[in-house]
Amino acid sequence: MEFVTPTINILIVLPVLLVAGGGALLMLLELFMAEERVKQWAPTLAIIVLALAFLQTIGLWGQTHTTFTPEGSSPMVILDNFATFLNVIFLLTGFFTVLISVNYLPRVGLNRSEYYMLMLFSLSGMMLMGMANDLILVFLALEVLSIPLYILAGLSRPRPESEESAMKYFFLGAFSSAIFVFGIALTYGATGSTALPAVLAGVSNGGALALAGVAMMLVGFGFKVAAAPFHMWTPDVYEGAPTVVTAFMSVGAKVGGFAAMLRVFVSAFGSLGQTWVPAVAVIAAITLIIGNVVAIVQPNIKRMLAYSSIAHAGYILMAVAASVNSPDGVSAALFYMFAYLFTNLGAFAIAIAAERKLGEGVMLDDYKGLAKRSPLLALAMAYFMLSLTGIPPTGGFSGKFFVFRATLEAGLVWLAVVGVITSVVSGYYYLRVVYLMYMYDGEGELHTKPALLTAVALTVLATLVLGLLPGAWYEITKQAALQGLQVLAGG
Amino acid sequence: MAEQITFIIGSILALGAGFIVVTNRNLFHGALALMISFLGVAAIYLSLDAGFLAAAQLLIYIGAISILIIFAIMLTRRMMQTTEDPFNSQFLLALAASVTVFAILFSAIVYVWPLTASNSVPLAAKTAVADAVLQDTVVNLGSAFVGADGYVIPFELASILLLAAMVGAIIVAWPKPEDVA
Repeated sequence: MEFVTPTINILIVLPVLLVAGGGALLMLLELFMAEERVKQWAPTLAIIVLALAFLQTIGLWGQTHTTFTPEGSSPMVILDNFATFLNVIFLLTGFFTVLISVNYLPRVGLNRSEYYMLMLFSLSGMMLMGMANDLILVFLALEVLSIPLYILAGLSRPRPESEESAMKYFFLGAFSSAIFVFGIALTYGATGSTALPAVLAGVSNGGALALAGVAMMLVGFGFKVAAAPFHMWTPDVYEGAPTVVTAFMSVGAKVGGFAAMLRVFVSAFGSLGQTWVPAVAVIAAITLIIGNVVAIVQPNIKRMLAYSSIAHAGYILMAVAASVNSPDGVSAALFYMFAYLFTNLGAFAIAIAAERKLGEGVMLDDYKGLAKRSPLLALAMAYFMLSLTGIPPTGGFSGKFFVFRATLEAGLVWLAVVGVITSVVSGYYYLRVVYLMYMYDGEGELHTKPALLTAVALTVLATLVLGLLPGAWYEITKQAALQGLQVLAGG
Repeated sequence: MAEQITFIIGSILALGAGFIVVTNRNLFHGALALMISFLGVAAIYLSLDAGFLAAAQLLIYIGAISILIIFAIMLTRRMMQTTEDPFNSQFLLALAASVTVFAILFSAIVYVWPLTASNSVPLAAKTAVADAVLQDTVVNLGSAFVGADGYVIPFELASILLLAAMVGAIIVAWPKPEDVA
């Protein structure tokens, strides 16, 4: 066979390669270094890898590339502003997760060197979710995202809660993956291709087969982003998993799911919008109602944040439903996820500081008197709760504002009304945390180390910036959203 | 005609054995039936001129995966003895749900999807695939997997996936701390 020079543009996938390669490197290090030393250096190494990938990603902003084109087909990987923006979200998620894990893991006796490796592998899958331009790659990226999370959820084995968490996540995750891949198969049957541009071209003539494919993929994504009625696993998994893992998956897995969902549904299935938009709108409404109402009765902060994360999936789904008929839908979703990243990770950072031992100190009653014990941390927690509720000036408010505006633009007035009402409801359980912190006295210990405090400070700062200067950031998400769709439609 | 017979036999083997897998009370017998089901799928691959896939199906699914399942059942003695009822209290609900989904998908595929004359070619009228093409299957598959103008990125991603799954399996299977002490 003659030798053909590869036509791969490696720079595009370099951030993913760095993250995945960093994970593999961490695993290999154990062969050459003492285990204790690896554990000592793993967080630093992970931060270095993430920083390098971050710099590379920032450098790619504004550029559009495609690569890995099978013969006679469309490119499998696409890197546009949409993917770059999401990669920034994922890398920041990884960064903050390392910061909050550094001291937590040894404290609760979970300091395993596999932790950072699996986290980096999962991150590489998330990054490819946004870059995938082919359903095969979407599916594989989804699995690379999920499988390390199944394991991380069970990391504090043999705690029964953690084992239950891993089992439930694994079984329901595998089940939803099967439904998802069945959807891909039906879409392939209807359009004759798994490449998104070809799917876009063929899906309108795909008939009922294509619709069945779209429906099954919607169910698969619904599981991943924890949208009702596919949310059943979320509270138990979030409660049982080690809190740092919960923090990581509450942002990473959700944004990863939405990354591929936006790309696939808005661009490839855009022409079927009139069919799937009502379905997504109804799912969004159910998710908002279930998430916000059931969160009220949760006595455990991790379960409360689990239902809160279901509710926030509902708000992002509102933006997804709006994205076909409104030019602001995708950018609103991107902005909302960007704000959610900081607010949610910040809230989890404080929950981690307040966790005495594994699974102790996670009840809402443990937050009584936090304001006296640590005024600054209580203030930060109060600020995050305001942001999650959507009270200005916070990033959460800006995100909700853009999402509601896009929903109204798209003509889904009833959905916007549901969103506003459920936001008011959510104030009850978010502000109760503030009430408990400031109005009661209570005992408890706080574990505040510099790394965790850095994470809290940075997330507060970012939430504040997004709350005070939303316009400038919204312009950035607008650039990210528009180019993503233009390229695909043209390709 | 010969193709149709192969197809019918393969389908009966795959579906009939598959039915035994999910209904049999004995896990071990279920594993054996699974092997027969795999064999039926291999026969269907053969009738589709996918010789390499049929061989891979035989070697990997029957030769390796089924044997592993049987080992796993035999090594966990409790599972060997149990004859669990595969039907639980939600059996009727699940049956109704799966029958509904099946009906919807079946009608979508058979009736609604326009099976017009242009895209349904009678079996007899199909041009036979040239032997040269069939013999090159393995070469083509290989270069499609690792070639730069092929599916190298999903291929490599799958290797990360397997690596993560392997590490995870070791973490899960490793003796619990109190067992070691």
